[in-house]
Amino acid sequence: MIRGSPSLSPPGRGESEGRDDIEMHEFSIADEIVKNVLETAKKNRGKKVVSILLEIGELTHLNREQVSFWIKELFRDSVAEGAKVKVKTIKARIQCKDCGYKAGMGPNQEDSFRYLIPASCPRCNSLQIKIEKGRECILRKIQVVR
Amino acid sequence: MKVLRSRGPEIFDIELEKDLLAKNRNLAKENKKRFDRSDILAIDIMGSIGSGKTSLIKAILRKLRMGTKVAVIAGDLTTTIDAERIETEGARVIQVNTGKECHLDANLVRLAVGEMKLDGIKVLFIENVGNLICPGEFPLGTHKRLVVTSVTEGPYMIVKHPYIFREADVIVLNKIDLAKAMKVNPSQLERDAHRINPQVPFIRANALKGVGVPKIIDALGLKP
Repeated sequence: MIRGSPSLSPPGRGESEGRDDIEMHEFSIADEIVKNVLETAKKNRGKKVVSILLEIGELTHLNREQVSFWIKELFRDSVAEGAKVKVKTIKARIQCKDCGYKAGMGPNQEDSFRYLIPASCPRCNSLQIKIEKGRECILRKIQVVR
Repeated sequence: MKVLRSRGPEIFDIELEKDLLAKNRNLAKENKKRFDRSDILAIDIMGSIGSGKTSLIKAILRKLRMGTKVAVIAGDLTTTIDAERIETEGARVIQVNTGKECHLDANLVRLAVGEMKLDGIKVLFIENVGNLICPGEFPLGTHKRLVVTSVTEGPYMIVKHPYIFREADVIVLNKIDLAKAMKVNPSQLERDAHRINPQVPFIRANALKGVGVPKIIDALGLKP
């Protein structure tokens, strides 16, 4: 039997605080980000993390508020406690293999699919499209005090 | 990693380029290479809680009669119920308990594959955690992705979760025998599916009775 990697537990935090019932992928992504931030800070001899900058694609299923909430929560009792979490949105970019359209989603995609994943080219309606941008979750910058 | 100028006496900007979703995508590519090396067809089975993922895997195994040439990775939060159910069909099963996570990821699959004896295995089913949202974001490196939905989930499952249905190579509408009782129109669900994913095979099934299973086997490129 394989078990998922245990989540990061900053020192001084007990299991009693009810993290066992968390089941959402914002949490797992936040967990991953926090691990990366703390490792990077340590490698760079950062005594304190002042802020971090994330870039999240608008076509991901990640809720920005939830991600930053969990990051701040997981930062507690670490060198990153109280750090500012800035989140920038990466706009979607579509490339159409048929007509060569290369830009964002169009006004004709204002339906329920628009916010999730566009299925067709806004110019020629071709289904042969490639999503070039908008599915990222990037940890772009960490500001530390040495 | 680039450490930039200092701001004031002691503040440093560390620039990174870490795409956290890309990390999973890269591990997924590694998994795929691993499957290709061993000539294994890997299939991700996704669907909501109670849509019939385990029942469908059991029905496929029964029809395929490939015995020990099939392996199953069963993902679940904490229990081994599904693994035990599948084991009765004679396949090699490994249980992956995700604990807090709502989906399997490429790394968990990599670990499971590492623990498994893959010699002689031709087909690997990976039963994802019951969820229509997160698994769509975390490819595992499988060759095919099948999504099971069922009429008991109501008429809006597909329009509400276009992301995962767009990623699907095969869509199965399970519990088709209950459509009338549920007042769900299967043709409407099929139209919803084809609006998001025009080419996808949409198969009506009743996994418990084996209805539609030969078509599913065919759509997955499996030969009984």
